[in-house]
Formats: sequence, C-alpha cells, structure tokens
Amino acid sequence: MSTLSVSNITDGTDTVETGYVVNGSAKAWVNFFGGAPVSIRESLNTSSITDVANGIYRANFSSGMTSANYAALLGSGSMVYDQGTLQDVSTSAYVGIKVQDGYVSTFIDASIVTAGIFGDLA
Amino acid sequence: MMKSQQVSPAHLWDRLAEAKSRLAPVQSKYRVLFEDPTQPDAPAAVLVPDPNWMAAALEGNILPPIDTYLRDRDVPDGQPKEHPYAEPIGAMTEEEAIEYLIQKDIPPQVWRDYQGNRSVLKIVPVELIPSDRSFRNAWKINQTEMEMAA
Repeated sequence: MSTLSVSNITDGTDTVETGYVVNGSAKAWVNFFGGAPVSIRESLNTSSITDVANGIYRANFSSGMTSANYAALLGSGSMVYDQGTLQDVSTSAYVGIKVQDGYVSTFIDASIVTAGIFGDLA
Repeated sequence: MMKSQQVSPAHLWDRLAEAKSRLAPVQSKYRVLFEDPTQPDAPAAVLVPDPNWMAAALEGNILPPIDTYLRDRDVPDGQPKEHPYAEPIGAMTEEEAIEYLIQKDIPPQVWRDYQGNRSVLKIVPVELIPSDRSFRNAWKINQTEMEMAA
C-alpha cells in the first residue's frame, strides 16, 4: 500500500488541509436490517452486529476508537411513522443503538438501521 | 553489512478500507447465540458477523492477533492501544473466524469465565434462528440438543 503524505489538497481553486479530511470522515459506518433475521447490508470497520433484543442492537468496531467520546449519527426506518433512534451504552469498541416507537415508548425492530461514527481512532 | 529496517504495518483501519475495495463480502452461514450470566433476565443475544470483516478474515494478512484485542480491553480510554498496529495474522477458516469473533465481540464472562451448568453460548446455522420475532424479548437458548436453537 502506498502512502501519499501531503498537508493540503487542492482542486486548483479551493485548498483544504488534509487534517480536515482525515478528522472529518466517518471512522465506521453500517447499514443493517434489524428484523428477522438481522443481517448487515453494507459497512466499514464493523466486525459484527449484536442483536440484543427487540429494537436494541450493538455495532462492534474492527478497529476501535480511542475512547467512547465520539459522535454517533444514528438513523432508522420502518413502517412506524413516529420513531426515534437513540444511542445506548457505548464504549471504544462498540456503539449501542436503540430504536424506539415514539407513541408507546417500546423498542421496535426496524427494517433499516444505520450508524456513522465520527471521532478519533485508537 | 546491511541492516534490515523493521517497517510497522499500516493502521488496521487503512488495511480494512483497502480490503473492502478489493474483496467481495462473505455472508457467514453461522450465527452465535449467547446469554450473559451477569444479566439472567436478559434475552439471548445473537451475534451477526459482518460480511466485509468475514472476507478480511478469510483473506488473511489484514486482522491483528486476537490477543491484542484482549489486552486492549484493559487499556484505559485515551491511552495507546495495541491492536491497530499489530502484525496481521494469516488466513482463517470460517469456523476459526467465528471463534475469533466470539472472543472479540462477546463478553469474557460468557465464553471464558462462566462455570455454571447452562449452555450460554451456541454456534448455530443461520436457519436455526427463529424467523418470528414476536417473542424476541423472551428468547433463551434451549438446553437440549434436539430442540431448536432459540
């Protein structure tokens, strides 16, 4: 593997420091089916999904984060109109995900569950 | 006399990103059912291997030794960890990859420390995972060999 070591990237008009690109890109992401059976559609830097219970999942990282102080952008889609996706207990090795029905506050399976992790790798 | 220079491997994240661009994903035919003995009221959990991770495990020379992950569990947040720059290991079979994943992603109290009589961990074909999730929050691992997995 070759490494290009540069401080800035430019298209001829605009210039950006490579630090912005490295720090601003997702360090892990995953898109999975949260129903029966749970299956992973696409991902980067994810080793597995743990199906914990109805609407409760855990995305395990292959290359861990430096700490649990990262930003997790979570989303979900299902037949339920009013639902929310929450971050559950998380560590540098995994992010916990909960999908909640907004009307009755129970956790529900979602056909699409997504997570994007921004922060520093270990 | 020429001295050979020790070159540390690329960061694990870089190796995984490169592997993803090159290798076709591999859907595992296995799932891992487990119960955490420290949470007796919790339902059985199901570990689903990631297809890109499985492709990397089968390819070899991408993933670090499992020992590095186990040692890194004791490293406090913010301190340097061993697994990102550890020398990668060779190709695994799918069965070996599942064993690796159990140690990496399932708590040690399930696969290492538990000394009770219940079966708290089972590797099963994906077909044995129930397709009806109506009673998902009551799933437990059946304790007899002839029964369904969950």
